[in-house]
Amino acid sequence: MFFITYLRRELRRRMRQAVFIALGLALGVGLVVTVAAASAGVNKAESGVLGALYGVGTDITVTGNAPPPHYSSSGSTQPAKATPPSKNGPTLQISPGGGAQICDNGHCVNAAGHTYDRLVPPYQEPISASTVAAVARLHDVAAAAGVLTLVDSAITYPANSAGSPQLATFTVDGVGTEHTPVGPLAAATISSGHFFTAADSHAGVALVDSGYAASNNLKTGSTISINQVRFTVIGIVTQPQDTSPPDVYIPLARAQTLATATKNLGGSVANTVNLIYVAAASAADIPVVQHEISRRLPGDIVTAAGSLASQVTGSLSSAARLTSDLGKWVSVLVLIAAFAVASLLTMAAVARRAAEFGTLKALGWPTCRIIAQVLGESLATGIAGAAAGIGLGFAGAAIIAAVAPRLSATAPSSTIGSMQQVIQAGGTALGNRTVVVPLSPSITIGVIVLAVILAIAGSLLAGALGSWRIARLRPAGALTLVA
Amino acid sequence: MYKLTGVTKEYQKGRGVVGALQGVDLTIADGEWLAVQGRTGHGKSTLLNLLGGLDRATGGTVELDGTDLSALRETQLTRLRAQSIGFIFQTFNLIPTLSAAENVEAALIPLRVSQAGRKARTPGALESVGLADRAAHLPTELSGGQQQRVAIARALVKEPKVLLADEPTGNLDEDTRDDIIGLLEHLWRDRGLTLILVTHDTSIARRAQRTGVMTNGHLTIRQESPNR
Repeated sequence: MFFITYLRRELRRRMRQAVFIALGLALGVGLVVTVAAASAGVNKAESGVLGALYGVGTDITVTGNAPPPHYSSSGSTQPAKATPPSKNGPTLQISPGGGAQICDNGHCVNAAGHTYDRLVPPYQEPISASTVAAVARLHDVAAAAGVLTLVDSAITYPANSAGSPQLATFTVDGVGTEHTPVGPLAAATISSGHFFTAADSHAGVALVDSGYAASNNLKTGSTISINQVRFTVIGIVTQPQDTSPPDVYIPLARAQTLATATKNLGGSVANTVNLIYVAAASAADIPVVQHEISRRLPGDIVTAAGSLASQVTGSLSSAARLTSDLGKWVSVLVLIAAFAVASLLTMAAVARRAAEFGTLKALGWPTCRIIAQVLGESLATGIAGAAAGIGLGFAGAAIIAAVAPRLSATAPSSTIGSMQQVIQAGGTALGNRTVVVPLSPSITIGVIVLAVILAIAGSLLAGALGSWRIARLRPAGALTLVA
Repeated sequence: MYKLTGVTKEYQKGRGVVGALQGVDLTIADGEWLAVQGRTGHGKSTLLNLLGGLDRATGGTVELDGTDLSALRETQLTRLRAQSIGFIFQTFNLIPTLSAAENVEAALIPLRVSQAGRKARTPGALESVGLADRAAHLPTELSGGQQQRVAIARALVKEPKVLLADEPTGNLDEDTRDDIIGLLEHLWRDRGLTLILVTHDTSIARRAQRTGVMTNGHLTIRQESPNR
């Protein structure tokens, strides 16, 4: 075909210039693709962080507020001592001689050679379990699940006084035995055994996280001790990567009878939870649901994933700002520069070919036919630039994936993964959790299409500017350039 | 064929105006060979450009077969050139990236001749100028005379009514010049073309039926050649 032959020969004649233009477009497009891939990776990491901190499928969490501070006789404000009442099991006390002793119902023994094991919730006000059902019945709520998060702390005193006490802790979530689309087990997969059934609601059975099971050599059928009560492991569960799940799950009713609460928290966790997972009917309903729950539970902390996202700090949030602000603008500037260079070079090429175009006009070629030829040459250059740019983008994304450090994100968490100090701020009692996630840039079909469009748009812009010169070309004037 | 009445052409040069043609009156019959002589800068090429619709007269009328060229839109002029007017230039003006055959085909593109049609007509056009064996050669692989032959083939492949030649032998040596002029003369006789040839060479001009001389934009027609 004459059009293709002429186009091909002309591009070959000014190969260097065509390659230069294509490379310029490729650089701009490649940068856009790389930044988009990095941005997608950061977004994915952020989603992973929120999923890890929040739970997959959860839109809103409800936690109890911190109890009011206890004023001592000296007038200073300090949290109440964690001294549960004696009716809730053994207590650890200091003997008159200064050593540790374990007392139960007024009878105390030396702690040496014994283990003091307590299962306690974090430092938050409990929420009545009936609240969970009330939240689930709210309009625009798809599902709600109540959880009692606990920490089992066992202090083992050596038989002789030479050694020091050993502290072992693990986290325990008391969960409902029915399957719900929200909650700690919503995204879990069973790798051995089976999930809870309705018959297990008061049973001494447990699910163990795969990581904890591997570390402690546990498998289906093993037994574990929680607050000195033996539980049988009926399943090993695996949570999505980069989440921080609890170590053990037991039925909620069992957890409520087994755990001990501090005096400040009412001394009992019966019929209570300390965390409610809520899934809205749709993303658009989240603000409404959040508002409705806050209105009904004014004393509790109602947090949506979106507001949690704004509290994320760490290198992940810095990377997010970098890609969205600096990365975006650098890409735009490079693209503009590439377009400008392509346009200038194309216009210069058209000027050099003025006599050739004048001859074609003398032969009777319509101006539009000549313009089509020039646009075709520009388009071919743009397509080459797009292909090279996409390749550069993939290379850039691969480099980022290879050299980028794992990003950390720290955010207030609704659950506490281990016995850690509770930070009180403004009446809110939440723990901070740090999650480390990899940066995995990803290039979507949409980004590739965008890259092609940008490169072609740039090349056609250059061709259009050159075509404008052709349209204004007078044949007689152009032919004199040869003479 | 052509009727020029009081044709003037002026160019703006700075604040002044340059009169390239000054009230030219001319009638060219069908099938006539007119040679236009004159020194450089006296309006020969300007006259040719007006005859070919490559430029527009400032004043007067240029009629081709009764059609005033100055009244036509640019697209109409373009179509007219495509169908009826062939051009030959001093510097050959071949497209450097196209072969001899493809340069000839280029003249058929605006006529929307199919690829098969172009492939059928091009060899004959090259053969008529004695370059059938150079069809695949690029202009850079051809001598000056061969390039001009290709240009002649390109001008004639569409079987125009008029052939306008602007110093066709200006860049050629003497022997080649004679070959080219001989070829043009042969084609003129053979096809009954109207040939208007601009030259500064008197020996070439004498071979035409009529000779005009451009002097400072004025055209003076000499007596018809005694050889015609």
